[in-house]
Amino acid sequence: MAAARKRILKEYTECSNDTPPGMKINFDEQNMTEWEILMDGPEQSVYSGGHFKLRLTFPNEYPFKPPVVSFKTKIYHPNVSNDDKGSMCLGMLRPDAWKPPNKVISVLHLVRTLLIEPNVDDAIEASIASEFKDNKKGFEKTAKEWVKQYAK
Amino acid sequence: MSSTPQSDDRRSRASSRADALPLSTPPLPVSTGPAVVFDSSDFVRRKSLRTQAPVDIRLLEYVPKCDSNLVCLICQCPFDIPTMLACDHVFCRECLDHAFRAQDHRSKRCPTCRTHVDPKKEPIPVPRILLSMLEDLMVKCPNTKAGCTWLNKRDGVQNHVDLYCGFSTVECPAGDCRFSVLQKDFHKGCLHYTVSCELCYTSIMKKDLEEHQRTVCAQRMIKCPHCEVEMLRLDLKVHIKDVCQFAPTACPGAIVGCGHTCDRRFVPAHAKTCSMATMAPFFQAQKTRLDDQEAAQKLLQRKVDILEGGFTNISNIVYPTNSSDDSSFPVTNPLDPNAAEPLPETPDFRLPPASFPPPAASTNNPPPPPFDISTHHLLSLHESLREEVGRIANDLASLEGRTHLLILNENQRAKEEMLHTSAAINSLRTQVHWLLSARLQQGRASASGGASASAGGSGSASVPAGSSLGSASLGPLRRLSDSTRQDTKL
Ligand SMILES: [Zn+2]
Ligand SMILES: [Zn+2]
Ligand SMILES: [Zn+2]
Ligand SMILES: [Zn+2]
Ligand SMILES: [Zn+2]
Ligand SMILES: [Zn+2]
Ligand SMILES: [Zn+2]
Repeated sequence: MAAARKRILKEYTECSNDTPPGMKINFDEQNMTEWEILMDGPEQSVYSGGHFKLRLTFPNEYPFKPPVVSFKTKIYHPNVSNDDKGSMCLGMLRPDAWKPPNKVISVLHLVRTLLIEPNVDDAIEASIASEFKDNKKGFEKTAKEWVKQYAK
Repeated sequence: MSSTPQSDDRRSRASSRADALPLSTPPLPVSTGPAVVFDSSDFVRRKSLRTQAPVDIRLLEYVPKCDSNLVCLICQCPFDIPTMLACDHVFCRECLDHAFRAQDHRSKRCPTCRTHVDPKKEPIPVPRILLSMLEDLMVKCPNTKAGCTWLNKRDGVQNHVDLYCGFSTVECPAGDCRFSVLQKDFHKGCLHYTVSCELCYTSIMKKDLEEHQRTVCAQRMIKCPHCEVEMLRLDLKVHIKDVCQFAPTACPGAIVGCGHTCDRRFVPAHAKTCSMATMAPFFQAQKTRLDDQEAAQKLLQRKVDILEGGFTNISNIVYPTNSSDDSSFPVTNPLDPNAAEPLPETPDFRLPPASFPPPAASTNNPPPPPFDISTHHLLSLHESLREEVGRIANDLASLEGRTHLLILNENQRAKEEMLHTSAAINSLRTQVHWLLSARLQQGRASASGGASASAGGSGSASVPAGSSLGSASLGPLRRLSDSTRQDTKL
């Protein structure tokens, strides 16, 4: 456990030295397995102008199990579950795809990349994914509305 | 230690002469055996005192920061017991075990590249260079935060924490106390009893009292009565004594007699005018020198006392008979039964030489001698004693040499005798053998049924040396005794 805490601390140092653009990490030394991340919607995406709050939770088995990413701010996105959890689970974040050498910094980069370019083939919200594929205009409109409504 | 083998040798020689097997065992195992046992028990004792878990070297602080190539990708720390898989990926052994435990145990995979791991062939040996690079890593002591400044190679850290680190926690020296103390405070004894802070009347553990009065206590600050500066109560005494510019301070010439006292800030001005303050440093230096010399003299005095005691003992041993009638140097000899009787005079080396009159005669000596008469006497005594002891040592050495030679000669003779005897026995044996075989042949010949006389003749014919036919059976016997005597003479 001590080794896992040490690793989380190291990863925090690494992330705070090289935070992806538009992100800010609130780190609590007393409870370092829960990170609060404040993220600005990327400029080139439909979420531009929004401010999103995310929670990154490290399981007890970290780094042998992946960290859990959840959006605390509602977001209209095919890869984020449209419920109170707001969970994001794809790519390296899947338990079967996670490798212990993976790092939080790459998780943060993945989240940012997904906001710019949603991954419709690995979507959690099928309806949003199909709207993104068939009616991109409509998707963009709803997404921007949600930003205005929830992420200001 | 160096004298042991020699004396042992001598003893074994003596015992072999006394016709016994050397009983002395080799000294080496005897002396190292108990030492090793003691060491290990001591180590165990120290270990049992330790209250901390073994050091996890991955949690240490590395100085300078560790090369990223030496870092385990799982724990992000420099490898602890590096373990390599066939895909060339390296992890700490514990991290890899942990990773495997989290996987399906029938098919283990490399945590980095997911290549299948064959438990029969993997892990493979780690390159030597990696191990030596890890060995060279420098770490700080895990108790650095507590104040330890140790910084060294990381494989020495456990040893340091167990045995040397003053900031390791160990069990309290008091047997019935459940608390732990820092190693460096071990000698202070148990400080786990409650005391009351004399400033705020909070009850607190003795070991925390100073910390409390330094950082917590509500009453810990005080204003200096002289300069009104606020400071810790604990530091006030030192401040007034050495620092405070407004505290009344005596002139530095006080040790010479200046009674002037003023604020510390005015002292330099006064010292410039005060002649006693100017002299003070010299007197101070003088005083320290005097003190030094006094201490040195005390030491010498003790040495002289010891030596004197030694001389007395030696003289008692060397000349036990003539001590009673020596009034100038009363040496009592408890070993001497005739102490009360006057004994025939022997040259007494204890009498002072003629150039130094005995103390009784020194009363009318006008100039006081440069040194105490008795010291001279003592010194001359010392000299003569030394000569005496040297002579005795020489005598002893020559005596030992002679004894040694004697023993050697004796030995040589005994050896020669033994040789003779064994040669005699040998010839005896051959004779008996020949006799026996002769007898056997005789028996066989008589049993075969031929003429007994001719058989006896043929039997005696085989005798090499000429002997009369009639005494065929007696012949060899006589010759045997002859040859034996001859052999012995040789
Ligand atoms: Zn590791
Ligand atoms: Zn691998
Ligand atoms: Zn230390
Ligand atoms: Zn105690
Ligand atoms: Zn107090
Ligand atoms: Zn003051
Ligand atoms: Zn003065």
